[in-house]
Amino acid sequence: MEEILKLKQKAKELREQVVYMTTKAGTGHVTSSFSCAEIMTALYYGDLLRFRPEEPQWKERDYFILSKGHANPILYSILADLGFFEKEELGRFCEKGGKLGVLLRGDIPGAEITSGSLGCGPGIAAGIAQGLRIDNRKNKVVCLLGDAECREGAVWEAAMFAGYRKLNNLTVIVDRNDLGATHFVEQEAGVEPFDDKWKAFGFEVRHINGHDFRQILEALKDFRDDSNEKPLAIIADTVKGKGVSFIENQPFMHGVAIKQSDLERGIAEIREGKIG
Amino acid sequence: MKQQVMRDAFWDRIYELAKKDKDIVIVSADFGAPSLDKFRRDFPLQYINTGISEQNAILLAAGLALEGKKPIAYAITQFITLRCFEQIRIYPCGMNLPVTIAGVGAGACYWESGATHHCTEQLSVMRTLPNLDIINCSSQRMASEAADYAVQKKGPTYIQLDREMISGIHLEMIAFEKGFQRIGERAVNAVIATGNMVKEAMDLQKETSAEFEILDLYKFPVDQELLLKELDGVERIITLEENTREGGMGSYVLEILSDNHVNIPVLRIGMNTCQGYNPSYAYGGREGIREAYGIGRSLIREKINRFLV
Repeated sequence: MEEILKLKQKAKELREQVVYMTTKAGTGHVTSSFSCAEIMTALYYGDLLRFRPEEPQWKERDYFILSKGHANPILYSILADLGFFEKEELGRFCEKGGKLGVLLRGDIPGAEITSGSLGCGPGIAAGIAQGLRIDNRKNKVVCLLGDAECREGAVWEAAMFAGYRKLNNLTVIVDRNDLGATHFVEQEAGVEPFDDKWKAFGFEVRHINGHDFRQILEALKDFRDDSNEKPLAIIADTVKGKGVSFIENQPFMHGVAIKQSDLERGIAEIREGKIG
Repeated sequence: MKQQVMRDAFWDRIYELAKKDKDIVIVSADFGAPSLDKFRRDFPLQYINTGISEQNAILLAAGLALEGKKPIAYAITQFITLRCFEQIRIYPCGMNLPVTIAGVGAGACYWESGATHHCTEQLSVMRTLPNLDIINCSSQRMASEAADYAVQKKGPTYIQLDREMISGIHLEMIAFEKGFQRIGERAVNAVIATGNMVKEAMDLQKETSAEFEILDLYKFPVDQELLLKELDGVERIITLEENTREGGMGSYVLEILSDNHVNIPVLRIGMNTCQGYNPSYAYGGREGIREAYGIGRSLIREKINRFLV
């Protein structure tokens, strides 16, 4: 219980941080960050991923691959909070002289890959997982991707590879917020039957509420278990923009920062919120 | 050295390297060769068939490289380059990863397979990518030594292998850093050829009274300074490639000359694509397709004679 409360508190702090950095910059993918805020918080603060902020290339680390790379404000906020790089860097998001931008760069400590062109994460994650298997290393690979991104064919090429090879060191988490850049996924370019697709490609599938920490932790509790027979796919139902009512589930808020004039209102909602 | 096609020369050398270097991993997009069978047999952990999925092959190779491997992504040239161009652009090139991309097929060497399998734009397109070294092999020996070059390199390399057997060209170690080599004696004019066209230039040299030296430009980017030094005193240049004239090796030579304010008349000979891919449907062998694209043997000879004699 206490752990869940801590995670909830952390998710609030991270959302706030996302709002501050993106509103200051006047750009950034806030809504995409918010839909995966609980998932990301659980991965980094819920004793799931193994990492060393002071040694990002630590040989024993788990590989976290953010396929939906534009959702990086939440990742940047986490990496800075954990000490992968200076917190001051967040204040220079998309500014001249800054290191952090809308495109995730592979050489940002903790980023692992350049990411922003969709559909690439699963293939890279599968390649890392295959390499780890060849070397008999126990590290795990976790890849977070968006549901609209699953319209990319390369996602399924990778899924077929991982399923066929039973890459049980790979976990794919889909942020199922049902929104693409401008459209509701199931209204214009749907992916259903979604769970069945991943099952058919050879994954163990778990469908959860992606804003509920208990469900996230439960779904991931055995992800490092070597006796798993299949790669794991977690379909996490989420709400794009979750946590700030006036940006929630709004198609045209994709990639848009909250205006300075709305900042106070947004922060107040995050602080009062009861997500998780 | 036994006579081999480039593909087999390349894989035989990789096999020798892979015996000692367990980080070498082959990522084949369902493309085989008898010379690959021994990897399956002897080093099963170092051989991955991804199935027909070139985008995934490049992404997997990128992932393997990030984990510490030295992957070699392999398929028919057309599909392991242009079909997955964006993946190559962002990952091996954008992140400067030690990924080797090996493609079998150059120009119209898959003559019977049509335009989908003909490499009309590879040099033009691939040479725009940063960090990438292109090695357009002109001989069996080059294919073999390119294996060493690519595996030791810290960044990405693309190796283009012709399907035909071409030996007897390079009798000395290939200088990959230099990127070109003169074949034979110096002359007042130069034919700069690449890939399969190097052998063609050598044959043409015997058939015409035109005097020219032959430079094999096999690596992009080439060492420009050394190339310009080599061209110092040359009066006319012909570039010869089995690739579209648009942006290909000939254009590259023009860029180098122009950027360095060197004024030498240049005639570019390459595939003429003003009729689209129609020439790719000319049946009857590679030479027939070359003729249709304006680079048949007699057409080249005529152009050389007109420009140089």
